[in-house]
Amino acid sequence: MRSGRVSLLAGCLALALSGCGGPAADPSSGPRGAGSPAASPSAPMPGPAPLAVPGPAPLTVPGPAAVVDPADVPAPVSVAIPAIGVVSALPELGVAPDGTAEVPVDFDLAGWFSGGGRPGSRGPTVLLGHVDSTAGPAVFYALRELVPGNVVEVTVADGSTARYAVTGAEQFAKDEFPTAAVFGATTDDVIRLVTCTGAFDRGARSYVDNLVVTAERLA
Amino acid sequence: MPRLRSSLARTAVVAGAAGAVALTGAGSASAETEVAEPATFTSAYTAMATPDMVINNDGVATPGQPGATGSFMYRINSDLEVICYDITLTGVTPPYQSPAKTATHIHQGAAGEAGPPRIALPDPEDDGSGKLVSSGCLQGPFTTGVLANGADTGTGFTLAQIEADPSAFFTDSHTSAFAAGAVRGQLTQVPVGGVETGAGGTADTGSSTAPLAALGGTAALAGAAAVALRRRAGRA
Repeated sequence: MRSGRVSLLAGCLALALSGCGGPAADPSSGPRGAGSPAASPSAPMPGPAPLAVPGPAPLTVPGPAAVVDPADVPAPVSVAIPAIGVVSALPELGVAPDGTAEVPVDFDLAGWFSGGGRPGSRGPTVLLGHVDSTAGPAVFYALRELVPGNVVEVTVADGSTARYAVTGAEQFAKDEFPTAAVFGATTDDVIRLVTCTGAFDRGARSYVDNLVVTAERLA
Repeated sequence: MPRLRSSLARTAVVAGAAGAVALTGAGSASAETEVAEPATFTSAYTAMATPDMVINNDGVATPGQPGATGSFMYRINSDLEVICYDITLTGVTPPYQSPAKTATHIHQGAAGEAGPPRIALPDPEDDGSGKLVSSGCLQGPFTTGVLANGADTGTGFTLAQIEADPSAFFTDSHTSAFAAGAVRGQLTQVPVGGVETGAGGTADTGSSTAPLAALGGTAALAGAAAVALRRRAGRA
């Protein structure tokens, strides 16, 4: 597993070197938005153990009779998450030569995985954003403060806005990233917001986990 | 080991396939084997399979099961010639039917075109919720049990060919009611592995089990991730 993590970090190290500025800023001075309260961390966190929750199906807007291909609807161009003060354009992101995810070059901008879904088409629509840089908090620094019901607004190329509500968040070790669960095609119109979290490996300048927030389309 | 038990059940078809290949006289003594998940992958692909994409062997559009969908995820390590699959079929009604050794395949063919199967995967089974699921990892060389010009259609196929042109491959499942395919979708690339979105260390939460701000609600990925998580739990 160690070698696996090293191979994933190669791209991160290059990005860190290219994006670094001064020493890390005081986290409290980050773009946290106007007084968004941090709820007490009382919810149990599913750790590395399997979740094994067969549970009821999530409350989604029923899928369309015909599955819509992403190419048939406009691409997303910007995202806003009012609860945490996030407003960002959405440059397109693809797949790096080593097969891993391209990440935004600008730490203040989230990005959209252009090979996936779009608002109004089969999902998932995946947005990636840095949690911080060596210069301080980045666009998705406060992602972990989101609570169910928080609204995510995605504006698409024709000017219309699709609204989603957060339904949950999960933390995964990067060494065991559930590619199928996060990037697997689904008929649901869902947004997944991805950033880093967990312990920070200072030697590798990389977090050990990913945080994935899921939001489902509001009718 | 739990995974070994379940993987033996899932690979009953694949194990039986070795005998099937011998019976068909395909000539090749080697076929795919089920292996543990590798530590890393070189690529990953998903497909949203739907009934409206099905084409029969004569190249004629032959819609599959109405309302059915399939979500296919393939993670490939082309250095080891390993493909890991996570398949969920919704609204597909068994029994399966195919001249190949299984009824769930990766074929070589562009959108709107027919094409020969290159890999036969274990058919998804009911997971108790009405969905059909299968997951595991296979190592090539691959055989399908289908002959073309005297050779198995998996002959000469390597996973690197998918990496070179993923949209030239499609995946499907065939049933008795929809022998041309109940659902079909072309492969499209997605990122594999964790995402490197952070470099400053200011958001360190200390451990992988640090609690998040009260999120409650269902873990939205739990259902979809359950198959992958079960496999990880059983991995040695």
